[in-house]
Amino acid sequence: MAAKKEKEMTQAEKAKIIDAKIDELGKLLVDEIESGKNPHLDIPIRGSGNVFYDEKAKQIMLGDKIAKRYLFNVAHARRFMQTLLVASYVKKDLLANNLTATLRDLYYAKKHTIAGTKEDTIDEQKESDGAIVDLEVSLDTFRERLHLRAEPKGRMAGDLKVKDRVRDKVDTIDLSRMGSGGWAVPSIVEQIEFEDSAIEYVLVAEKNAIFDRLNEDEYWKKNKCLLMTTAGQAARGARRLLQRVSSELKVPIYCLTDSDPYGWYIYSTMKYGSMALAHESERLGCPEMKFLGMSTSDIEHYDLSSVTIKAKEVDIKRAQEMKAYDWFKSKEWQREINLFLEKKLKAEIQALSSKSLQYISKSYLPEKIKTQDFLP
Amino acid sequence: MAEKIEKVSKEKAAKAEEKAPTREELEKSFREYSVAEFFKKNRQMLGYSGKIRSLTTLVHEFVTNSLDSCEDAKILPEIRVEIAQLPDEHYKLVVEDNGTGIPKKNVGQALGKLLAGSKFSQRAQKRGQQGIGAAYATLFAQITTGKPTKVKTGLGDGKVYECLVSVDVKSNEPSITDEKEYAGKFQGLRIEAEYAEVGYNRSEYGSYEYLRRTALANPHCQITLVEPDNQITVFPRASKDIPKKPKNVQPHPLGLTTSDLMDMAQVTSARKISSFLVSDFTRVSAEKVKELQALMPAVDLERAPAALSWAEAEELVKNFQKVKWIAPETDALIPIGEDQLEKSLKNLLEPEKLKVVERKARVFRGGIPFSVEVAIGYGGKSGQQVNESRKGELVRFANRVPLLFDAGNCAITEAFKSLDLNRYDLKEFETMPVTILVNFVSVYVPYTGAGKLAISAEEEIVSEIRFALMEAARDISTYLHGLAKAEEQERRRQIFFKYIKEIAQALEDVTGRKASALEPKLRKIAEERTALLEAQEEGDPDAEAALEEIEDQFEEEVKNDG
Repeated sequence: MAAKKEKEMTQAEKAKIIDAKIDELGKLLVDEIESGKNPHLDIPIRGSGNVFYDEKAKQIMLGDKIAKRYLFNVAHARRFMQTLLVASYVKKDLLANNLTATLRDLYYAKKHTIAGTKEDTIDEQKESDGAIVDLEVSLDTFRERLHLRAEPKGRMAGDLKVKDRVRDKVDTIDLSRMGSGGWAVPSIVEQIEFEDSAIEYVLVAEKNAIFDRLNEDEYWKKNKCLLMTTAGQAARGARRLLQRVSSELKVPIYCLTDSDPYGWYIYSTMKYGSMALAHESERLGCPEMKFLGMSTSDIEHYDLSSVTIKAKEVDIKRAQEMKAYDWFKSKEWQREINLFLEKKLKAEIQALSSKSLQYISKSYLPEKIKTQDFLP
Repeated sequence: MAEKIEKVSKEKAAKAEEKAPTREELEKSFREYSVAEFFKKNRQMLGYSGKIRSLTTLVHEFVTNSLDSCEDAKILPEIRVEIAQLPDEHYKLVVEDNGTGIPKKNVGQALGKLLAGSKFSQRAQKRGQQGIGAAYATLFAQITTGKPTKVKTGLGDGKVYECLVSVDVKSNEPSITDEKEYAGKFQGLRIEAEYAEVGYNRSEYGSYEYLRRTALANPHCQITLVEPDNQITVFPRASKDIPKKPKNVQPHPLGLTTSDLMDMAQVTSARKISSFLVSDFTRVSAEKVKELQALMPAVDLERAPAALSWAEAEELVKNFQKVKWIAPETDALIPIGEDQLEKSLKNLLEPEKLKVVERKARVFRGGIPFSVEVAIGYGGKSGQQVNESRKGELVRFANRVPLLFDAGNCAITEAFKSLDLNRYDLKEFETMPVTILVNFVSVYVPYTGAGKLAISAEEEIVSEIRFALMEAARDISTYLHGLAKAEEQERRRQIFFKYIKEIAQALEDVTGRKASALEPKLRKIAEERTALLEAQEEGDPDAEAALEEIEDQFEEEVKNDG
């Protein structure tokens, strides 16, 4: 219900809520200072100690452990200051002017030498990035609401029209007319609106090369689907957009990665969320997503053993870790991982080209979808 | 050789004559074999090995003689050492003092005849122990450059005497030429000689370091050094107190060996064992003899000492350990003294922190008294200078004489190595501005060899030095600990205060509350919290409780909010 209400809210209204939250945080600190107390922030703990897998919601979630960060504590003081610098930048520079900025913009905007010292407020961007996440979790919101964006990554093509806006200008974009490159998914997608569409599913590939192959083969047109590439580990914008397509257009989403632990982990991040951004799983996760391929059993089934790659030590280690994750505990995945650990073989999606260039679009994908040969 | 001298010195004057042939034998051997050959053979043993070390040895021989000469006459020593480089890698060394000078008739004896010194017949704490040093220096000049040593001396009687001295190597007799006598006020001794096969630098084995350390252990002297590059360094006098004159002592019963006791029993003039014990040892009274007798009723102590059997001597030595003795006389030992060491280190090292430890006298081996002094200086000019920085140094002395060489075999080094430096906050000793000075004081120093480089690492000695080091290091550790704590507290203060401006400005941006109003309040909280934390670190239980309460308060507030 809150979500519905939120959906109806304008960007300006949403910004106002964040503004008020930051204001409240500031007032609490001022109150503490006025009454002579050591000012502190409550920051939900991130990291494995406070992350769990919610089986019902199919999401990796943040627990309720909270750390108190005090200003007058040798270990906390600097991060405390950085978190406040982020808060002030978001409120005064971004929200107040209805502007968005990249993490790097913020880093440069707030980096300066502290008066009377030789110390900089921020040394490396990863410090301000950390402070941003601290502020996100302590305000119980997410980065996009703070008008901060990450590097955009991911492209789309298909029979779908979307509306995007740049400040007050609204553009309608026809994803079927984006040429060979497709439509670049922006880093913030909150403002995107979907028009009605006849697409039947979304096919998301981790690789640019596969997107280009399928786009050239007009796969999306022939199969009435929306085609997407995440170009490696999916960016926040891409993940959020996938979730919205899935829930708003009510179509299934199939994922296509290389047959190796790294590919499977990309899939699991899109589906369940990640440990690093557990607080965002609810907003970025795509619990209905299904894994189309490639799996270790595909190697045998499609007779690809001559085009495999030997797994490295790191792949084995990664697979062993993944095997222990709660969200890989289904018997299908356990079987796949065991098979991988046994054969120690990887395969790229492009291995299918060993049969013929269009084997993937003409045989592999249609067959998989027809038989619903998926992993959960 | 050391052992023979020890034995000689142990005896009374009358008896010493009986042993005198030992010395005559030595001298005879010098005559029979070429003195030069003897020197060549024993050069290393006497400290003349390596160029740098040879020069340091020469400086050492003259400077110790100067210091002894001044002390005998209660004169505050003023010593000037000049080292100049000549062509062909020859060096000129000039050492001049303001001591008693040498009577004209003794000059040859003192500087041109080997083993003619008078020191080694007494059991007294002196710097030079074997009386061969200065004449060897004369011989060394002669052998390396063929030149005699130029001597100028005055007794303060208005006459000055000059001559050239060399050693007639065939007869071990002095050869004196170019004598001159004239009226003048000069008092003291000036030696000028030219040497080859020597070298100069400022390393820890060089003459500079030798003189610096001599100055450290002899705060009553003033030393001036002119280096080959004409740089003049003055190690200024820190105190006008001249050390007491050393006196002869008898052995103390503790630490005596059976063989020592047997030897002494054979030569004593006492008629009974009981009176032998009282007369030939220090701290043995008739009452103590009674105590001993009570401990060993089967042995008749009223017999002649010569009748003492080995087994009885053994039992006596064992029982010596059971009786409570008054400590050996310490006035026989001339330590530098706590006060003097303090003045000296303050004068030369200007340390931030200084600790001097004087230990009570103890005995080793045949009842030989010794004592240990340790001084540790931290900061200032402490430590050995290496380019721009300083590193920790252990400076060893035996009766105020610096021991520069053979550190690895020395009791002082062994005692130092046995310390757990971590425990004393000296873990980084190698890179810390620290000087650790150890002076071993005894009428008889058990050197490891005739070169007098290192003190024999005997158990009683090592353990005593170790205790002295530990005592001094504890104090330094407390100081360093305090420094570390103060540094940590200062760091915390800075962390607490440096972000206040940034925080106040950010809060103004966020809430509109003026930074200028928030800043003083934040400062006050930082101030209070700093004080509370510092009090807690000092162990204040109230501060501890207050801090706990504050944190708890927050805990609850958070819970209520949730």
